[in-house]
Amino acid sequence: MKDVFLAGAALYQAGRHYGKNIDDIAAEVLDRALSDAKADIDALFVASSTTELANKQQILGAYVLEALGLDKIPVYRVENGDGSGGAAVALAYHALRSEEHNCVAVVGVDKPNDVLSNQQQDIYAATLDTYFERYFGITPLSYAALMAKMYLKKYEYRYEDLAQWAVLMHSHGAGNPYAYFRRQIKLEDAVNSEVVSEPLRLYDIGPLADGAAAAVLCNSRKEGPRILSVATSTNTAAFNLRPDYDTLYSLNEAARRAFEKAKITPRDVATAEVHDSFSIFGVLAVESLGLVRRGGALAAMKDGDLPVNLSGGFKSRGNMLGATGVYQLVEVAWQLIGREFKRVDGSYGVVHSMGGVDKVSTVVVVGL
Amino acid sequence: MRHESVPIYWRNIPHYYRLVARRCKKCGAVYFPPVVKCRCGSTELENVELPREGRLVEYTVLHQVGTDFLKQKPLIVGLVELSNGVRVAGQIVDAQPDKLAPGAKMEVVFRRVIADGKHGLVMYGYKFRPVGGI
Repeated sequence: MKDVFLAGAALYQAGRHYGKNIDDIAAEVLDRALSDAKADIDALFVASSTTELANKQQILGAYVLEALGLDKIPVYRVENGDGSGGAAVALAYHALRSEEHNCVAVVGVDKPNDVLSNQQQDIYAATLDTYFERYFGITPLSYAALMAKMYLKKYEYRYEDLAQWAVLMHSHGAGNPYAYFRRQIKLEDAVNSEVVSEPLRLYDIGPLADGAAAAVLCNSRKEGPRILSVATSTNTAAFNLRPDYDTLYSLNEAARRAFEKAKITPRDVATAEVHDSFSIFGVLAVESLGLVRRGGALAAMKDGDLPVNLSGGFKSRGNMLGATGVYQLVEVAWQLIGREFKRVDGSYGVVHSMGGVDKVSTVVVVGL
Repeated sequence: MRHESVPIYWRNIPHYYRLVARRCKKCGAVYFPPVVKCRCGSTELENVELPREGRLVEYTVLHQVGTDFLKQKPLIVGLVELSNGVRVAGQIVDAQPDKLAPGAKMEVVFRRVIADGKHGLVMYGYKFRPVGGI
């Protein structure tokens, strides 16, 4: 089977793009990625979580191609909630490995700011069990809060230790030209922010933002960042029936498979972009990914700079829902070659894209 | 995206009102929410009502809520382990958050979940409260 290379990519500034429709920002970013790749595509995979609910549009891919006048190209929409981006990358990778296609584009796009913040809560809560969780007012944030509370008690950390996550993310994101919040913060800013679901405060949440990212992947190239493996896994246990609350099971299994297929270990990872829609998820992700020992993420963060979320993560770069996984892939690839980001010292990076509260995770291993 | 589907609400009433779960006739595993097939492979499942007492595992006070819950916020969201060992997540009512603690004895109560204004639909379901009140 042929290898899969990142031939070109483009990112859209994360933010509030009230002046643009969802197909506009997707088409703009795809056009820039195609110019970057200097390649034609024979399929388009669109990752998006909420096009129907927030933007009132279906078959988005066809409207994106219409905006660019690209005719007769097959389009596929991929929806795995906020993990849609990783899932679309996985399907694109398989399409190229099987040689059904030679060059494809993955566009991740979401525009949550087309609706009011309470409606955003409704939409995000639909990643939970809509009949048994969302119906009763439960949201991903409230589950993240329960997990944070249990984690801090079990491993004897203080809230201030967790709040360091936001500080680290902002220090990383300050240098990311595409980030939503490009500035450093102090620990006091985080610990004094309003309580949203105790123990979590405002700065424990990755802000929802409009965004689009495009990656052109080809199986005919011979140089540049390469996708070494992709694996997706699902956690079928209901939240209330899980054996513990400090493991991301979908990530654990996806990571095991992805590392095995890429023939590398977590120790080889020079940069990782993990799904930290809430600070505690980032902490659990670096542990379930195997980068640090169980219960050790906050201690490792205190001891030195974790090579995690150099983009700024969801807190600083932003949470662009289904688009985020595509952002993460491009960020990791660019960090490995020193484009737009400072070049990392190493040859391997990983992406963790998650849908729901540990419902489904995709892990992508990128290498040079 | 408000919860305004009558068919969805109506068909889930046994679960919402009486905590009807599904138990495997072969191995005894209990699922809530209900599943179609047991993890042991059996499709012989029967409906059972969950016990109505248990203990609090953990809780949080949620201030950011969806459209249907704006008038009720903040919500106390908790995880309760019922007397048969099955855990259920839901809202906690009739409690002062700072007096709640893991291990507290809890009971199931029947409450209004969503009300569509003064004249619209009212939808009900289970919530939890501390036994004896706090």
